[in-house]
Amino acid sequence: MRALWPIYKRELFAFFVTPLAWVLIAVFLILQGLNFYWIIDTFATRAEASDQTPLQAFFGNTVLLYLVLFLLVPPMTMRLFSEERRSGTIEPLMTAPVSSAAVVLAKYAAVVTTYLAMWLPTLLYLVILKRAGDVDLKAAAAAYLGVALVGAGYLSIGLLMSAATDSQFLALVLTALVILALFLLGIGEFVARDGTLLQAVCSHVSVWAQMNDFASGIVDTRRLVFDATLIVFPLFVTTRVVDSWRWG
Amino acid sequence: MISVSHLVKRYGSRTAVSDVSFEIGRGEVVGFLGPNGAGKSTTLRILAGFLGLTEGQVAIAGHDVVTDSFEARKAVGYMAETAPLYPEMRVSEYLMFRAELKGVPRRSRVSWVGHAMEQTRVVDVANNLIRTLSRGYRQRVGLADALVARPPILILDEPTSGMDPNQIRDVRTVVKELAASHTVLLSTHILSEVEATCSRVIVIARGKLAAQGATQDLARMRRTSATLVTVRGRLEDAKKALRGVQGMGQVREVPAVGASAAADDPVHCLRFAGRTKDEVDGGALVEQAVAALVQAGVAVREVTAADGSLEELFAELTLADRAPREDPGEDGGDPEATA
Repeated sequence: MRALWPIYKRELFAFFVTPLAWVLIAVFLILQGLNFYWIIDTFATRAEASDQTPLQAFFGNTVLLYLVLFLLVPPMTMRLFSEERRSGTIEPLMTAPVSSAAVVLAKYAAVVTTYLAMWLPTLLYLVILKRAGDVDLKAAAAAYLGVALVGAGYLSIGLLMSAATDSQFLALVLTALVILALFLLGIGEFVARDGTLLQAVCSHVSVWAQMNDFASGIVDTRRLVFDATLIVFPLFVTTRVVDSWRWG
Repeated sequence: MISVSHLVKRYGSRTAVSDVSFEIGRGEVVGFLGPNGAGKSTTLRILAGFLGLTEGQVAIAGHDVVTDSFEARKAVGYMAETAPLYPEMRVSEYLMFRAELKGVPRRSRVSWVGHAMEQTRVVDVANNLIRTLSRGYRQRVGLADALVARPPILILDEPTSGMDPNQIRDVRTVVKELAASHTVLLSTHILSEVEATCSRVIVIARGKLAAQGATQDLARMRRTSATLVTVRGRLEDAKKALRGVQGMGQVREVPAVGASAAADDPVHCLRFAGRTKDEVDGGALVEQAVAALVQAGVAVREVTAADGSLEELFAELTLADRAPREDPGEDGGDPEATA
């Protein structure tokens, strides 16, 4: 695990030294900024029309959040392993005295750090809202916990897809498909008949419902368990995949 | 320091390495020789801990590469073929990263990286992006990476491929300097490289160990290898003249390079070799052969040493276990070389 720190630093370096990172961050902030602007504009003109707080509108009940994650996560994770395998740098990496788990965790930690850094400027929105009125900071914290966990789960899936293929493009497509599938499964909550097992399953895995809850300040343990599964399971499989390169 | 016994590597049904065994002692510089696709890189990757093995045992500095992979990898500085590097990093950044990754203590990092850069002569590009480096420089950065954590064993996969002659000479000098304090295993398909740097040679062909022995044995094989003579005149006369020379071994015609097909200007290329390796001095034999040809009225256009090219050596080494060659003079070296 000693190798975790140098690989983590190098991954962050590699990400921020390429234009891709800055393009992604710019796109992210423009989209979120627009979203925030619309929400504020709506609340300023017809506040009585809504029974939500601006915070709830920003994090929950909006497709924009998922659209952003859908667009952002696959290009963030696609190069993590595929690029190393394509260029051959995986060879010096794995012949250094490092464990597969350290390599996987370091890369994952780096991409999660980047993801959180992207969200960081949006804290300014809270400052703006606070100047205009009351902000439930606990609900805000829950909302941020929500986006962090959902994002972390998606990134974990992306990491696995990047390890599964040495083509960055394929990794991108596969990650996008899985994220889309998870989202559609969540939508099933509203499509499936009430009271059926399918509906129960769908509502349990629904990111949509999760973000609505978290944005209102409701942190449900079941959701946390689901998110943890979404993070840990792909990481575990990725470690096995990396091991298999050595011993396969 | 390196002990390989009955190593087998299969990819599905294809066997890349089959039953290879060898030992390399402390302080040896060993050349790992073989044509492309012989299983050189596969074997080295297994030694370096990048690939698993199917059967057999490999121990590096006493550590089994399967059960004690971590310690085994710690003892090895490995340079992969084509030296893959991160293009977006600067040379010094990359080496600092590698040093930290390999557990070089923080206090020593700067000085060890500096030393490795001096040894491999990349100091002048320390601040350049790896992306902008030439192939030769990249190879040397790869070599610096192998050295940076000061491991006792170096495994270098084709360290001079893609370099120009000056750079090759530089790298050979570096390897010779390293030989004093390291055990080195380097692969190559260039025969002269082995002669220049290695004390012992392991030859691998088609995944099997073809030969191993001291470099002198290899050099002897090379020195007594055949001579090519291009002549104009009747083929029979030329052959007869050559066979009349004392100590002459096999004489045969080989396709002449650039010979015209015209019947009135018959140019032939003949290949001859001494009967035995040590008794006949190659130079004297050539002198006598040329004299005999001239005396027989055959015009001599060109005399060249059929240098013991690797292809030839391989033909000899790998065909030897199939069928005895008709020419005892050329085959004589094999039993010595095969330990």
